[in-house]
Amino acid sequence: MSETVADQRVHPATIPLRFLKEVPSNLIGLPAIFAVVSDVGLGTVLLVAAATGAATLVVNWLKWRSFRYGVGSEDIVIESGLLHRTRRSIPFHRIQDIDIEQRLGQRLFGLAKVRIETGGSGKDEGVLDSVSLAEADHLRGVLRQVRGGALPIAEAEAQVPDALPVLAMPLDRVLLSGLFNFSLLYIAGLFALLQSFEPWLPFDIYDPGRWMGLIGADVAGRFSVVAIASVLVLAAGLGVLTGVLRILARDFGFRLTLEEESRFRRVRGLFTRSQSVIARDRIQLALVTDGPVRRQFDGADLSFQTLSAGAEGSGRQSVAPFSTTGQVEKVLSLAGAYRLPHEGELQMVSRRHVLRVDLAELLVPLPLILIAALFSPAALLLLPLLLLGAVGAVVSRRFHLHGLGDGLLFVRKGFWRRRLWIVPAENVQAVAVTRTLLQRWLGLATLHADTAGAATFDYPRIVDIRHDEAVALAATLIER
Amino acid sequence: MDALERGQLTVMRIHFGAASALVAVAALLADWLLSDQVGTPLGIVTTPVLLLACYTAFVAPGRRYRAWGYAIDADNLRIARGVWYRVETIVPLARVQHIDISQGPVERACGVCRLVLHTAGTMHSRVVLPGLERARAEKMRSAIRARIGAGPL
Repeated sequence: MSETVADQRVHPATIPLRFLKEVPSNLIGLPAIFAVVSDVGLGTVLLVAAATGAATLVVNWLKWRSFRYGVGSEDIVIESGLLHRTRRSIPFHRIQDIDIEQRLGQRLFGLAKVRIETGGSGKDEGVLDSVSLAEADHLRGVLRQVRGGALPIAEAEAQVPDALPVLAMPLDRVLLSGLFNFSLLYIAGLFALLQSFEPWLPFDIYDPGRWMGLIGADVAGRFSVVAIASVLVLAAGLGVLTGVLRILARDFGFRLTLEEESRFRRVRGLFTRSQSVIARDRIQLALVTDGPVRRQFDGADLSFQTLSAGAEGSGRQSVAPFSTTGQVEKVLSLAGAYRLPHEGELQMVSRRHVLRVDLAELLVPLPLILIAALFSPAALLLLPLLLLGAVGAVVSRRFHLHGLGDGLLFVRKGFWRRRLWIVPAENVQAVAVTRTLLQRWLGLATLHADTAGAATFDYPRIVDIRHDEAVALAATLIER
Repeated sequence: MDALERGQLTVMRIHFGAASALVAVAALLADWLLSDQVGTPLGIVTTPVLLLACYTAFVAPGRRYRAWGYAIDADNLRIARGVWYRVETIVPLARVQHIDISQGPVERACGVCRLVLHTAGTMHSRVVLPGLERARAEKMRSAIRARIGAGPL
């Protein structure tokens, strides 16, 4: 047990902030309650609301009072809990990153949420919600400097890290990149939300006449080509709009700096301002994503996969959204021994890949279609799809490249969403060579390179490389 | 590549046999219920299921057992497995985070145990090598332990 005294509290403004955050969830239950006991006056309603509010405030105050933290000489200590007190000590040497995040409300009060990343599985291991921005910066400076016991605290505080600006995203680039984030998913989400509020809405969301009425096509309850087209245009417009707004909220004011040549600091966000630190030696691999249309606008996206599970999924941190090749190259070179592959350095997988896809089609979908055709000849219309699959195999092979150079494994995959993984061989934790029955017949294999913090499906693998090549490549990969 | 201990074949036979028997009993029950309620001829479910269960109980364990193999040298552990879907995993010993030896009741009775390597990876965060003699597993464990931390994380 450490000696550190936990004598500091988070900022008192946290109490009203948390209260405001909880208002919607507290009040949403009220209409339901009053729907059951209907014969009450407005006075009673307000009284109950006020009582609920006051109780929440008291609880928040108690929580605030019971939460204390302190920074010692070797660790940071966090004590919490009203009745059941928990004391948690995080030794400095276990701290990997310190992230600072400011939501809209917090920005009004000049507060920030500090998250201490330790690489453990517990996500909320060390969260201070919220402290003043100055205290957050101070904490980060201190924790970073004393980590590893290099410097005593007093000296650490005096040091100001030198920051090298790497990348900044102007507003027009952010908006442009938003156009590429067109997504109908959010519209589906919107509809789901509308549906849950449907009883209170003045119109029926499933009444197509209303929707078409919105855009001027006067066809109440009857579909026409114009009406359908208008709905599609409306949906596409909404999709573009939600995409732009989402990217604007996330990437507004994107700035990347390099501090002391050892860590990147990323600041971004319109409403929620977040500051993340990506330590250079924790980067596991680099991933460049682009596509045929994005390429026309110089809009490649570079992200680093880090050990610690970041706030947004699978430990992948975007460090250069919608950037030019030059910018991507610059960030890569600053990250260490990373680079883009040279012209002609990468090669395609075996020609037999196409044969494998064709055979796979002959074995399963073709018999299925033929059987279906016995019952309904219309199933034969599906046959061109098989041809499409065969052509697709030729195209996908052209865009599935791999290579090994300067200790870096390059894997490129995908035609529409082109991903390029750049993996230093020393970060490969394990290699697997797998072969399905069909691959065995054709002498092919799939090579999987496993890294720390990888995504479950989107990870570097080379499909349908020749088996002997796969074995040789695996051997070279783990040699390092 | 080295083969697993013969004891592992017994373990597999027991596990596969138990699972197959369970499925066969379930099929018999379904068959009886169907013929009772719907009037289907007896054996319409049991016959195909029983044929399949015969394969998984008597043929599959042997094939599966023979598909396993491993080789350890100074730097790497290679493990091969799978009858239909062949998987060959190579774990650099320097990347291993920690090692467990585990043994279930059936395994204990057959005199084998499992070596479990934990790596920092994602898919292969747990690499399991079953069917080792206790003494052999412990020898491997100490050999691998000597290598841990030798390479960069």
